[in-house]
Amino acid sequence: MEAPPVTVMPVTGGTINMMEYLLQGSVLDQALESLLHRLRGLCDNMEPETFTDHELVYLLKGQQGNPFILRARRSLSHPTAPWHLRYLGQSEVGDKSRHALVRNCVDVAASHSLPEFLNEMGFRMDHEFVSNGHIFRKGAMKIVVSKLSRILVPGNTENTEHLSLSYLVELSVLAPAGQDTVSEDMRSFAEQLKPLVHLEKIDPSKQRH
Amino acid sequence: QREEKQLEASVESLISRVAHVKNALHSFIYKLENEYERLTWPSVLDNFALLSGQLNTINKLLRNEKTPSFRNQVIIPLVLSPDRDEDLAKLTEQRVPVFSHEIVPDYLRTKPDPEVEEQEKTLSTEAARIGPDVAQKQIQALNKLCTTLLEKLSNPREDRDAESAAMRQSKPSFNPADTNALVSAVAFGKGLSKCRPPGPVAPGHQGQGSMMSGGPTLQQVTIGGGSGQQAGMGGPVAQQQQGQTGKMPSSIKTNIKSASGSMHPYNR
Repeated sequence: MEAPPVTVMPVTGGTINMMEYLLQGSVLDQALESLLHRLRGLCDNMEPETFTDHELVYLLKGQQGNPFILRARRSLSHPTAPWHLRYLGQSEVGDKSRHALVRNCVDVAASHSLPEFLNEMGFRMDHEFVSNGHIFRKGAMKIVVSKLSRILVPGNTENTEHLSLSYLVELSVLAPAGQDTVSEDMRSFAEQLKPLVHLEKIDPSKQRH
Repeated sequence: QREEKQLEASVESLISRVAHVKNALHSFIYKLENEYERLTWPSVLDNFALLSGQLNTINKLLRNEKTPSFRNQVIIPLVLSPDRDEDLAKLTEQRVPVFSHEIVPDYLRTKPDPEVEEQEKTLSTEAARIGPDVAQKQIQALNKLCTTLLEKLSNPREDRDAESAAMRQSKPSFNPADTNALVSAVAFGKGLSKCRPPGPVAPGHQGQGSMMSGGPTLQQVTIGGGSGQQAGMGGPVAQQQQGQTGKMPSSIKTNIKSASGSMHPYNR
């Protein structure tokens, strides 16, 4: 079979730069039920959706300091669904008044050969975890309440243990760059979840040290 | 004559009040039948409140001292005819066209409906049965409940808020430390990477190639030389992992090398 001609340019451009606006919080196990009830009332009326996902985080170490991180996610509850590959850029520092964490986000779907492909490319898996929980939607906002579990034996998603006694609550919106009204809407929604959960902008780089 | 005048006046005012009620009912029914899609619960409540207010005024009117007791008056139909009476029809807006034998029992009724009568009878027999002492106790209990409820409702808002705030504080629903832990776990794998029991990853692990198949593993064990190198080479992620693994023996080190070196990935 002939190799495709090299002159065919790869498809570039035409994509909108999507930013992910993120607010995070957590809720203890005891308060989970009340939080789910409140979310079911506040969010769009749809059947409550649960999910079980296995996420692997791949790192590509360059010569410079910061490694390039890609996140590969597959659904354990729908094993035939394609994998989901996501790139999250650095969070935009700048506007202290902006209420949510903003970072560049690129999402693509991938086939089941993704882990081998990434390995061939040179990525190495840094860590993996299993998250299961509920997902709610309100307009463009996505609220995910999930329990993270640590995988004890790599590759074995059955053998997991919970990372903590709390559920992680994330409120995120994917929007094209430059729309700052989104963070206002997110903040007013977060107000409605107080005092059960305090959703706030948590800067991961501050957590590192 | 005074009585007559009083009677007339009270009957007239009663008629006007009843007319108000009728109008209110009329508009309410119209609204319910024609605009039910746009109707909101508060407006329905408004209508009900209006009706109840009007009924209240009628009650007050009837209880007024100036109104003579209507029980003493008797209404006797003088003429009953099955013919259509135009004047009557106009007076009643076409609702009662004929003053005949059929309508008299309904419109001139003074005793309550048979079902209502039955209910009243059962209630009064019940009340007579339980005896005065028990009845008194029940009355007192009811009164006490009502007064406590009224007190609670009429107390100023601040008291109530303080109570509920205190209740909420004793049961915190989230733990900020957990929040941080979870966020760091998702963001860069804090607490996720190295927590495996040391058994399966014993230093005897030589065949690195076997670990590259299927699920890629996290740790690639290198024994011997080059171990000193890795401590410096690992990025901040690796450093942190190493710092956290209190229980891992020091012979296991991470080895995250970039692929830009011409190292074959299977050659480790």
